[in-house]
Order: sequence, then structure tokens, then C-alpha cells
Amino acid sequence: MTSFADLIAEARNSAANLSEIFLRGNGLRLGVTGLSRAGKTVFITALVQHLTALAPRDQKNPLPVFRVAAEGRLIAGRLEPQPDDHVARFAYEDHIDSLTGPDRHWPQSTRQISELRLRLEFDRPRRFANGPAHFDIDIVDYPGEWLLDLPLLEKSFAQWSRETLEASAAAARASFAADWRGFVLGLDPAGGEDESAARRAAELFTAYLRAARADAYALSTLPPGRFLMPGDLEGSPALTFAPLHLPEGYEITPATLAAMMERRYEAYKTHVVRPFFRDHFARLDRQIVLVDALSALNSGPAALRDLQTALDDVLAAFRIGRGNPLLNLFRPKIDKILIAATKADHLHHLSHDRLEAILRQLAARAIARSEFSGASVDVIALAAVRATREVAVRRGRETLDAIVGVPLAGESLDGEVFDGETEAAIFPGLLPADARAAFRGDALGIPEGEADYRFLRFRPPVAVLGPDGAPLPLPHIRLDRACQFLFGDRLL
Amino acid sequence: MNEEKKQRPRAFRLDSAAGPDFVVEDRPDPYEAEAEALAGDAAEQAVEAVQGRTILRGTVFSWSGLLFSALGGLASFAFALWLNSLVEALFARSETLGLIGLALAGLALLALLVLLGREVKSVFRQRRIASLHIALARAHAADDREAARREVAELAKLYEKRPETAAARKKLAELRGEIVDGRDLIDIAERQLMPPLDRAARGEIAAAAKRVSVVAALSPRAVIDVIFVAYQALRLIRRIAEIYGGRPGMLGAWRLARAVGSHLAITGSMALGDSLVQQILGHGIAAKISARLGEGVLNGMLTARIGLSAMAVCRPMAFVAQKPPAIRDVAPFLFGDGGAGAEAPRK
Repeated sequence: MTSFADLIAEARNSAANLSEIFLRGNGLRLGVTGLSRAGKTVFITALVQHLTALAPRDQKNPLPVFRVAAEGRLIAGRLEPQPDDHVARFAYEDHIDSLTGPDRHWPQSTRQISELRLRLEFDRPRRFANGPAHFDIDIVDYPGEWLLDLPLLEKSFAQWSRETLEASAAAARASFAADWRGFVLGLDPAGGEDESAARRAAELFTAYLRAARADAYALSTLPPGRFLMPGDLEGSPALTFAPLHLPEGYEITPATLAAMMERRYEAYKTHVVRPFFRDHFARLDRQIVLVDALSALNSGPAALRDLQTALDDVLAAFRIGRGNPLLNLFRPKIDKILIAATKADHLHHLSHDRLEAILRQLAARAIARSEFSGASVDVIALAAVRATREVAVRRGRETLDAIVGVPLAGESLDGEVFDGETEAAIFPGLLPADARAAFRGDALGIPEGEADYRFLRFRPPVAVLGPDGAPLPLPHIRLDRACQFLFGDRLL
Repeated sequence: MNEEKKQRPRAFRLDSAAGPDFVVEDRPDPYEAEAEALAGDAAEQAVEAVQGRTILRGTVFSWSGLLFSALGGLASFAFALWLNSLVEALFARSETLGLIGLALAGLALLALLVLLGREVKSVFRQRRIASLHIALARAHAADDREAARREVAELAKLYEKRPETAAARKKLAELRGEIVDGRDLIDIAERQLMPPLDRAARGEIAAAAKRVSVVAALSPRAVIDVIFVAYQALRLIRRIAEIYGGRPGMLGAWRLARAVGSHLAITGSMALGDSLVQQILGHGIAAKISARLGEGVLNGMLTARIGLSAMAVCRPMAFVAQKPPAIRDVAPFLFGDGGAGAEAPRK
């Protein structure tokens, strides 16, 4: 798999890394990823907002676990020009406007790779080098779907076709896979190179992937990732292919539909998948993987197991390990991974332990593998922006631990359909005490009336304005713990 | 766990026009409470700051340190020169005398090395306790299960030669294998391991305070009670360090005394509202009866305060599950209310 181009890229990465270390000093590259709608954008926005708008000393510290802030050693944080000019900048200002503006709403989701450099100025308590110092955090945001493409590098077109068709044959997927399956099974792989058939197949295939990703089903393992997250490749021939029905041992002959599809599949691998891993992905030092476990829980055990597979693939893609300090100069490895269940504000804090247990179960294999290679892995339930508060609702003799927030327009529960303006107290149900119970069964897309738990989505909270009229950092749950884990150890 | 009955998800509109048939009660925000618990414990922060500054401080470059090291080096050269010439002179007089002199010098050197080794060992032991204290506090704050297990094992190892902690250690070893939250594990460790040691330390403080107040009340000269108080304070600090697992030698005791001193300086202002009023009052009443008696009470309180600071600095874990003792708890006799003060609430 190692080609000459890869070797060149490796060398370039090493050189870039070395020059960064020597020219610029202190810093790290933090990868932020997660499948779509896991909350990557909100996480980065909230993180940057907290670190750039430091609360005045006399106020309550919003980040008590983040030691450098808790000890009052954090002087300032500001955004700096990013080092890689060919990567889009993370549109922090736009996102913060959408979160705190008059018509508050969740920001647009990640569509492509983007980057942001955050410089922290802090006081170093160290013995020999005390005094002010600075630390650069390069936040690299990229869709987790792209990581799911890594296994494709090892698969031939025929193999991938077979696997994709098999997966779509499952009973639970029948309802939304029927259109595309009908069309593909009717195609003759040995037919001519028919561009319109290829386009149609690709469209139907993309529609199938989107349907599987939709809220009701919340499936996760759906490569190729660029079909869902095309980035800047929308409509290019590298994305105009689809699996074909190829029996075992089928010989692809030239100038057929199958040959054309195979060529495009290979092009996708060479021109899309490989460069991403080579150019952006190889230089990360720390990684946070955001997981929207609640949607999968809403959908059912089958979606949860699917998420487990996806997480496994995502975490297998990382170059993990502690490595030795000298080699790390040339070839950094990820030595800390945080797996975070986002939107923890959608359930009561008494359920957070259970959510973490489920997350641990979700990532169990990946955690074992990472720890074997010497990286430290942690699992937390967090909410980068906290949209709810906790109350107790008493009716008659029963008391329910509920959360209060403004559910998004169109969300429904218990016979109520919300309009996005009214507040409601929601009791989302209890997660199973035994994490494994959540994985048992084959249900997918469980309707609301039959579920034991249902997590609604809420609107962002109303921002409190500071004395200068700028919005204060929004409330959060355990964002400080994430900071401490991801880069707190380097701010000493 | 199986009894947990299934409850369907429910929604309650807060603007329901039909008039609600339910009551919404606000609950204290758990995250804010957690944040306050983390940031608010000034006493614990003082202990950690002091430990970091004194006990945990490694060899630091400072000009005064350089001066003293250089002078010390010169002095040892002078001493070695003198020893050398002495042995040579002895040899010149007779070979036997010379050999005896050489042997004596060798013995002195050996003893010096052993003492030095012990001193170094004791300093490291005290450092281990201090870093254990900080690590446990951090693991407790972060509710980190792995760290808690590791540090509690370390804590148990510290006391493995103490027969009175055997039962507690056995129970902890069993618990470490089970799934217990990091925070709970540390709390359990504190409840199991610390009480006998705390009791012993409090006993020492009470005894020292009693001795000091009696001697100060009876001594004919001020100089005598100054010396006696200083001696008792140093002895008390050493005793408390020993109770909590340290074995301070001379250098170690000096470092500890500095730690206790700076802890007193930091916490002195914090405790102002707490017990100084009582102290002045107590002093006033005693002083009314007799000026000497008042002196005695004040000196006793000072000693008890030193003892409490030593307890905070030497204890391998912070007071979390257990209530930190106040002066009234360790030396109730100074307040003239017999044993009643032991129950007095702190803060």
C-alpha cells in the first residue's frame, strides 16, 4: 500500500512537523471528529468561546476542572492565523453568531475539513522557566465519515459491492433500500459504459445512504463517506459510482459498466481517500471523537450496534501510541484520545453514569486496542453548550427527575408537538442499568410510542450578555474536563 | 437493579393553558455544586500550595543556596585537611596511634554516610506522602477511577507495616478489584485508614498543648517557656509526621517545620473568624484570673494550632469524608468547658 507518493508525503509531513516545533515552539494539533450531527461544530465553537473570553477574576470560574484556568494562570486566549493555508478556516464568528444571535439556532454542520489556531497565553509555574508562555492549539475539524473510508483502501470494488449489497438486504433497511436495490439488481454489469445509468445508480445510492443516516434510523457505518459529506467534490466523476451486483468470482471485462464503476471506485481511493489520510490526518497529536449516542439510542439496538462498528472503524484509523520523544519529532502519534458522548444535557445528570457505561461498551474494542499501544483513552458525557436545566416534576405521588428546555420545532413526545418557542419539562426515560441491555435486540427506527426512552433536541440557551454587550460564554457540562484531558497536561 | 420500574418518557408543557396538574420544583444545579466543591476548598488549596512550596520542592538554584553550598564545601575541605594532618601527625608519633586514628576517622565517615542516607530517605518518604496527598485530591476532584485505584494502593502500601491498619487495608484491597467510583473509593479509604491515625495525632496535640500551657503558667522565666514551646512544637511536628507514615530526620524535620510555618501563615487569616475570637475571649477570662494563667492558655493554643497545621500538612489525604478537627476538638480544656467543646460545630 505504501507507494512512492506516500513516502514523499511522509517526508513532507516530518519536515513540516520539525519546522513547526523549532520555529514556533509550543503547541499541539488537536483533531476533532465525529459522525455528522455529533456536535463537532458546537464543541469547537464553545471551546474557543470559553478560552478566548475569559471570565473576570471575581466571577465564578466557568472551567473549574481545567487547572490552568482554575489556578488563575490563564492570561488570555486569541485566534491566530492558521499554519496551513490550503485548508478552510473554521468559521468561528459565523457559528457564534448563530448560537447567540437574536434567532438563536445550532450552527451549520461540518461539511469539509477546516482548521483554527488558538493561542493561549498562560503563566508557567515551572521552576526553571517560569513566567509567561504561550501555547498554540491547532484545532482540525473533519467529518468522521471520511475516516470510515479507510477500510476501503484494502477492499476491491467487487468485494465492496458485495458487502454493501448484503448490508442493505437486512430486513430493517428494506423500507428505504428498496428503490436503489431494485435499480441496481436490474443493471447488467457486462453492459456498455452507460453514463446516465451510472448517474442514476449513484443518485439512488446516495439517497439510500442519506435515508439510513436520517433521524428515524440513525445508522452510522455507511461508506463511502464522501457520498454523505462530499466536501468540495460534489458532482465529480469520482463520486459517480455505485456498487453493482457482482456474483462471487465475476471477471470484470474492459469497456463494460462494471469496468467503468471499478475505475471510478479506484479513482475515489487514490484521489480522495488517500490524500486526506496523508495530508491532514497523519499529523495529529491529540484527538477527541464526539459520539451522538442519543440518536442511536432513540433509533434502537440495531443502530447502536451499527454505531459500534463505525466507532471501531473510526478509531482504527488513528495512528495511536506513545512512541519515543525523538521519533515523535518526525512522526507524531496520537497519545490521548477522548471519546465523548455529546448532548449530555438532554438527560438528567443521574443518568450520565449509565450513558458513559453505554459509551464505554460502544468503544470497548477500540479502547482495548488503544490502551494496548500505550495511548490513554477516556470516556465522558459532555455538553459543549448546555441547553437545559434540571427540575423535579411532581404529579400525584410520583416524582420525576426531568430537564427543562425549549425543544426544537417539530420534536414530539407524549402526544405533544413542540413549536420551538415553548418551554417544557421533559422526562426522557431511564437508560438501562446494564449497558449491554441497550445493545440487545434487532429493532431499528423504534416509533416514539413504544420506546423506553426518547431524547429530544433543544434550542440553544439564551445567551447572557456581559457588561460590554458581548455574549458571555454559554453554560456547558464537563467541557473543562475535556480541556484538561486534551491539553491541560501541556500547560505546565 | 431489577426492581427499577420502567417509566415512559413524558413531556410537561410549562405554558399549558388547561392549568397544570403537576408541580415543577427547581433543584440546585448539580454542576455548579460540583464546581464550587472543586474551587471552594481554600483550606485544601493552602495545604497543597504549602506542600508544593516546601516538602515537594526539589533542589532549587538560589544564590543563597550557592553561597551556603560553597561555604559548606570550603568548610569540609578545611575539616578534611585538618583530619588529614591529624592522622599524619599520629602516624609520625607512632604507627599504632596512626592506625587507630585512621580507623576512627573511617568509622566517623561511615556513620556520617549512614546518617546522610537516612536523612535523604526520610526526605523522600515525606515527599512521597505529600505527592500522594496531592494525587489523591486530584483523583477525588476528577472522580478518576484508575487514578484512585492506583493512589489508594500506594496509600495502603505506606501503612503496610502498621498492624492496626491491617483490617482496613484488607477491606480496601478487596474494594479495589470491584467497580467503585473513584471518589467513593477515596472516601472509603479515608474512613477506613485515617481515623486511628487522626485519633493518635489529636492525642499528641492535646498532650503537647497541655504540657506547654502548664509549663508556661508555672515557669519562672519567659526565656524558659519560649525554649520549651519551640522544643515541644518541633517534637509535636515530628511525632505527627511519624504517625502519618513519615520518618523525619533532622533535615526532614526542618523542612516540615518550614511547611507548618507557611501553612500557619496562610491559614492564620482564614481562621480569624473561626476561633481567634474564642481565643482572645478565653485568654481574657483566664488573664482576669491570673496573667500567668492567660500566658499558659495562649501558649497552649499556639501549640495546638501548630499541631493542627502539622496534621494538615503531614496527612497523606485531605479531610474530605472526615471533618477536619478544630482547636476546640483537640484542646477543649483550654476553653474551660471540659469535654463539651469536642462537639462544637466548625464553621
